[in-house]
Amino acid sequence: MSKRYILLAIVLIGSAFGLVVLPNKHDTNQIPAEEFLIDIYNPARFLSTHQVAKRLIERDPSIFLVDVRTPSEFEEYSIPGAFNIPLENLLEEEWADYLSQDGVDVVLFSNGDIYADQAWTLIAQQGTKNLYIMKGGVNQWFSTIIQPVEPPETAPSEAFDLYAFEKAASIYFGGSSANVESATTTPTKKTVVVRKKKKKAAEGGC
Amino acid sequence: MGPLTYFGEISTEWNYVIAIFIGMAFGYIMEASGFSSSRKLIGVFYGYDFAVIRVFITATLVAIIGLLYMGYFGWIDYSVLFVHPTFIFSATIGGVIMGFGFIIGGFCPGTSLCALAIGKIDGWVFTVALFVGIFIYSLVFPFIEPYYNMGDMGHITISEYLNISNAWFTFWFALISVAIFYVTSVIRKKVKEVRY
Repeated sequence: MSKRYILLAIVLIGSAFGLVVLPNKHDTNQIPAEEFLIDIYNPARFLSTHQVAKRLIERDPSIFLVDVRTPSEFEEYSIPGAFNIPLENLLEEEWADYLSQDGVDVVLFSNGDIYADQAWTLIAQQGTKNLYIMKGGVNQWFSTIIQPVEPPETAPSEAFDLYAFEKAASIYFGGSSANVESATTTPTKKTVVVRKKKKKAAEGGC
Repeated sequence: MGPLTYFGEISTEWNYVIAIFIGMAFGYIMEASGFSSSRKLIGVFYGYDFAVIRVFITATLVAIIGLLYMGYFGWIDYSVLFVHPTFIFSATIGGVIMGFGFIIGGFCPGTSLCALAIGKIDGWVFTVALFVGIFIYSLVFPFIEPYYNMGDMGHITISEYLNISNAWFTFWFALISVAIFYVTSVIRKKVKEVRY
């Protein structure tokens, strides 16, 4: 056997053995800190409640709402179509496919911004794209979509356009409709009231 | 786009350009290894020439070792690599059919194109027959479709299946490869030499 073949065999086995003895690299699978900082400062990661509401009304299939609050809070009230993944279970393998979807915008929300932002940080540093936060969370959702407040008369016309949308969205999502004055009762009760009305109408026809 | 993260992201257009150059290099190496001769290719089955096995095993080994080292140094993103799904039943049947086709025809699809490129008549005939075969296959496909999807094991690699690390698998593969190189050289010496 020629020396060349022996040398080649030694090189191949040696380099393969080199892989075995290499120390384990600590592979965090995270995006570099500099890139992540840019992502965090990018305001485009926030969606307003209006943007979310508009896309839900249009039945946009490319939006996936994730409620990161606890299951009890989720059962009490959540935005229609939202999926509940509590913050403490966020990194479980089960949810990985839900939170990272090609061509689907995953929108996280909690009661305010803090928990949603923590969830965003946890997922986004794994390099997940199309990840957003609904700015203001459920609280903002109530104060804009479910019980919109009429802007003062001196407000610019855009504010009134927005208010018109809010009123319409409020009806769509089963809120207090345009009746701002009576918006003092809890909104969860309101949704139940609307459903009851429907049933009554059906009974009358019999 | 490509898994080579070291150079940043490579655009789709450049991917095609790079693919063309890799393809040209592949064709050149095949021709330089003598793979455009059906007598050389068939030598594996009769035991007088093991260049095919040697070239392909060496190529596989170099590719595995290169990939693992590049992955270790962070030049390649493993998660972007596409692992073909394994259909163990159809792969076995297809392998047997392909083997017989190899012995009878004297080429595999890639080498037939290589022979075609240098103007070999048997290469031309093989390539035409290849497309006739593809056409017939597409006609009978509805009948054999259930067998086509049998034995689905998903996107699995051998090291995942055996539950060993990639590095150990590569090491054993290197040892086995060298053993194969040695055994084939012994067989070749024993078999009567064929001049072609």
